[in-house]
Amino acid sequence: MSDSIPDVKKVGALLLEIGGLLMSSGASSERIRITTNRIAEAFGYSCDLLITHRALMISVNSNNSNEFFSSLKRTSPHGVNFTVVSGISKMSWKIVEENWSIELIKEEMARLKSISAYPRWLTLVLVGLAGSAFCFLFGGAGLEMAVTFTATVAGLYVRQESHKLKFNPYLNVFFGSVTASMISGLLSKFDWGTNPETAFATSVLFLIPGVPLINSFTDLMDGNIMNGVIRGFNGLMIALAIALGMLVSLMIYQM
Amino acid sequence: MEDAVLILEKGFWFAAAAIGFAALFNVPRRVLWVVGLLGALGGITKTLLITQHQSVIVASLAGSILIGILSVIAAHGKHAPPLIFSIPAVIPMVPGAYMYRMMLGFINLTATLNSENYAQLLYDTLHNALNAVFILMALALGVSAPMLVTRKESVKNLKLKRN
Repeated sequence: MSDSIPDVKKVGALLLEIGGLLMSSGASSERIRITTNRIAEAFGYSCDLLITHRALMISVNSNNSNEFFSSLKRTSPHGVNFTVVSGISKMSWKIVEENWSIELIKEEMARLKSISAYPRWLTLVLVGLAGSAFCFLFGGAGLEMAVTFTATVAGLYVRQESHKLKFNPYLNVFFGSVTASMISGLLSKFDWGTNPETAFATSVLFLIPGVPLINSFTDLMDGNIMNGVIRGFNGLMIALAIALGMLVSLMIYQM
Repeated sequence: MEDAVLILEKGFWFAAAAIGFAALFNVPRRVLWVVGLLGALGGITKTLLITQHQSVIVASLAGSILIGILSVIAAHGKHAPPLIFSIPAVIPMVPGAYMYRMMLGFINLTATLNSENYAQLLYDTLHNALNAVFILMALALGVSAPMLVTRKESVKNLKLKRN
C-alpha cells in the first residue's frame, strides 16, 4: 500500500466479518485462516484467529507500529453458500493485486451476500432431478424416479418454508425428511412399482450433511481437531434428524 | 457395447445428482457444467471399478481422488476454490443404500430380542454400517488427497504446466 494505511479497527472488524461469512457459508477452518491472513497482509497488518463453530476471535497487529486490535464476533447460523466462498476467495486475490479500499470490499461483500445464483423454482427442480438420479443409481425405474422427484421437491419446499419460520435447523431437516418419506413411502405401503424401497431410501438424500462431514474431515486432517469434531457432531445430528423423520413415516405406515 | 451405454447412462445421472447439489449449495452458474462433468467422471470411475470386482470402498476412493485432482485443475481454470467443485461432485457417491439399511437394521435390533434371526440381523447391520462409514471416509479422504499431496496452502501457488 503506497497511500495511507487504513485504521486497525476498521481492518479488524472487516476481517472478522469476512471470516464469519466464510464460516457460515461452508468454508473449512484453514481456508478462513488463510483468506483473512492474505487480506490482513495486503493492508500491512498481521492477524491471528481463534476459529470456533459459532464465534471468531481475532487479534490484528500492525507490522510497523504498536497498534493492535482484538475482538470477538459471533457468526451467523450456518447455511451453505458456495457463491460467497468462491466470491470471497476471488476478492482476496484482487485485494492483494489491485489494492482495494475497505469501502470497495464492503460493497463487494454486500453484493456477494445478496446473489442467489438460482431462482427458487430452479433449485427445487434441479434438486428433485438429483433425487431421481439417486433413485436410478440405486436401481429404481421410471415410477420410483417420478415419485422420488415429487417427494424431494415437496421435502425441500417444506424445509425452506420451515427455515423461513425460523424453526430449529435440525427440526427443519426433520420436517423435510418426514414430508419426503411420507410421499415416497406410499410406494412401499401399496407395493407399487418393481423396487419401491429405492424411492423411500433415496427421497431423503437431498438432506444429507455433505458439507459438514467433508469439512469435518478436512479440519481433522489440518489439525483443527476441535472444529473437526464439532462439525462432525453437527453432521451426525442432521443425520439423526433425517433418520427420525423416516422412522416417523415407517411408524405411520406401519411398515 | 450395451455395457458402455449403461455406464454412460449412469454417468448422466451422476452428473444430474451433482448439479442438483450444486444448485442447493448456490454454486456460481458459470461453473455448473464443470461440477456435472466431475460428478459424471467420478461416478463412471467408481462404476467401472465395481464391474472389475473391486470393493465398493476402493471404487469410491478412486472416484473421489479423481474428483479431487480434477477439482484442483478446474480451480485453476475457473478461478474458484477447489471445494466448490469437489463437494457437490462427490455427493452422488454417498452410500445412501447402506445408510438406509443400517438405519433399518438399528431399528429392528432395538425392536426384537431372542428371535431366531437376531444374529443374522446383527451381522447385516454391522456390515452395512461399516460399509457406510468407510465409504464416507473414503470420499472425504479422496477429495482432500490432492491438496495434502501437493502441500500448498492455495491452489494459486500450484504450478500447472501453463505457468
